[in-house]
Amino acid sequence: MLEAVNLSKSYNGTVALRDLNLQIQPGEVLCLLGANGAGKTTTINLFLNFTKPSSGLAKVKGLDVTEHPIETKRYIAYIPEQVMLYKNLTGLENLGYFTALAGHTDYGRERLLECFDQVGLAREAAQHRVATYSKGMRQKVGIAIALAKKAEALLLDEPTSGLDPKASNEFSTLIRKMSEAGVATLMATHDLFRAKESGTRVGIMKHGSLVATLHTGEVGHADLERIYLEHMHE
Amino acid sequence: MNNPSRMIISIAKKEMTEMFRDGRFRLASGIVAVLLLASLAAGWKQYGDLKNQHETAQKAERYNWLGQTPKNPHQGAHYGVYAFKPKSQLSIVDTGVDPYIGVAVYLEAHKQNEFKFRPAQDAATSIQRFGELTAAVVLQILIPLLIILLAFSSFAGEREQGTLRQLLSLGVERSRLAAGKALGVAGALAAVLVPATLIGVLTLALTSSKGLLAVDVSRTILMIGAYGLYFLIFLSLSLAVSALSSSSRVALVVLLSFWILNGLIATRTFSDLAGFLHPTPSEVEFDTALQRDLEDTRELNARLDEIKSGLFQKYGVSKLDDLPINFRAISLQQAEELNYTKFEKHFGDVFDRFEQQNGIYQLGAAVAPLLAVRSLSMGLAGTDFAHHRDFTTAAENYRRTIVRYMNDDILVHPTKAGEEYIAGSELWKTVPEFQYEAPGPLWALSRYKTSIVLLIVWLAAAAAAVVFAARRIQA
Repeated sequence: MLEAVNLSKSYNGTVALRDLNLQIQPGEVLCLLGANGAGKTTTINLFLNFTKPSSGLAKVKGLDVTEHPIETKRYIAYIPEQVMLYKNLTGLENLGYFTALAGHTDYGRERLLECFDQVGLAREAAQHRVATYSKGMRQKVGIAIALAKKAEALLLDEPTSGLDPKASNEFSTLIRKMSEAGVATLMATHDLFRAKESGTRVGIMKHGSLVATLHTGEVGHADLERIYLEHMHE
Repeated sequence: MNNPSRMIISIAKKEMTEMFRDGRFRLASGIVAVLLLASLAAGWKQYGDLKNQHETAQKAERYNWLGQTPKNPHQGAHYGVYAFKPKSQLSIVDTGVDPYIGVAVYLEAHKQNEFKFRPAQDAATSIQRFGELTAAVVLQILIPLLIILLAFSSFAGEREQGTLRQLLSLGVERSRLAAGKALGVAGALAAVLVPATLIGVLTLALTSSKGLLAVDVSRTILMIGAYGLYFLIFLSLSLAVSALSSSSRVALVVLLSFWILNGLIATRTFSDLAGFLHPTPSEVEFDTALQRDLEDTRELNARLDEIKSGLFQKYGVSKLDDLPINFRAISLQQAEELNYTKFEKHFGDVFDRFEQQNGIYQLGAAVAPLLAVRSLSMGLAGTDFAHHRDFTTAAENYRRTIVRYMNDDILVHPTKAGEEYIAGSELWKTVPEFQYEAPGPLWALSRYKTSIVLLIVWLAAAAAAVVFAARRIQA
């Protein structure tokens, strides 16, 4: 579903991403771990076509994102560290707006509210302006948007950063549910624990390169931390 | 599922919802709406008052003309009448140059007079002179400011808030995003302008015995079109600048700079430039030059001698008293006709210079679209110099008609030396009443081809700028 082929990106001679090769199949969750500047966000930006690759390809469902920028975005949903919504609109209005812009202009109110149900947001909250929402609620609206647009792939950039453990856990549960429904997920995170909990695989990035890939079922929390730190100290 | 028009409408609806919920928008648009309605109300009252005054005065003038005591027709011509320039309906919106060039002219024998009764001159205080807020000022200056305030953060603000990144991740086409935002701002603006326009039109219709027929539909539609183009230019430019600016603050500074250039600097600069390139004489210089020409009677004397000889020969007489016609009438008419060319030369020269100045002013629209819409607005309101000149010509023609009627009557009533022919009301009645019909809207438009072309060029450029900027929108 998501594929990087020798994907590289340099900014003014500084390498941000070097020859990245990865594939994420439907139902898989690949968590990219790494320090700041490791290339995690650059990878996501390349899949979103927010930045052009210096070389290589980023593909969504087999389509090069630079060649098919609009079509590939129909398949993906993006949830950043802070899902930014329009604070003067209600949660429901925000969801309706983003869903319409994703091409689903025919959704009715009930169908949108069902998306709120699915992410565990109260229907009453949907009527409130998002200026009153907590960060966790905003992140859930982000998931609701992904559900409403029937995304086949998720691109998550530090989505649980700053969330309290309960909200973080609820978010991970939602990601797992979507994964079980066949959604391919690429998540950039600093949180080893959340990566182990949510991911089917973990990729460790350093200085723009993917230096290791592990199956989360094959390593424990402690092993993952040790391997990660070993790579960071090399 | 992926319906472009519904998507654009969704974007527009969201933009409008956000604006209507924003207290700053409500305050700004409320102030502009109140100012617009207040200026329309003031314009309407002024229009009603002046229209009634002019109609009453014109009737009184006719009554006085017909009620003259018996006298020599030439004295009748000197008795004279006032011709009042009819108030155009759209002067409610744009008073144009009327307050500065007068509304009535005194028509009498021998002289083409200048216009009198200038509201700007008659204003009691300096505050009245400079504090006039017409609907045209609101439409030309304040509405563009409102558009800027509504649109400057359309893209730059979203980029700062992070919502632009969210939007672009959805795969929405940038052109649709720009179209939706433009429609949203236009919709919010319409919420201010449409009620004001409807109130204006309905007030006019309800207060006239003709109802809706009282509304000059074609000129009103053309004026709405001209202002619509002007607002679209500002809307497109605001969106383009917002899309290209690194922050909403930068966008606001750029747009306000353009607004100042457009509304304050360009108008003054091009007025001064027009005056510099095509200077007009002062009132004293004009009067002195005209008087000098009028006092030169050599040509008149030569022509009268020639006519007199011809008449003596034709009628076989040697004295004026023996002519079967009144030679005084010929003398008066010849003097008038010789003066016609002098008036036409002097007034024509000044009027031509005003029109040349107007041409320079219109060319200024290449820099500031306000100059185009201001010219068009005055033209369509019938309060520009071109309409003034047209009325002046009609009034002068009427003056000549009166003089001709009087002289023709004198001509067929020969008198001996020491006698005076006296005419009565029968003669006064033969002079037709002064009627003036303002030229049609196409005539008005034909005076402003430069403005129309430049307004369209501005719109095309602004639209191209939006398309270009929309393609470059970065998350």
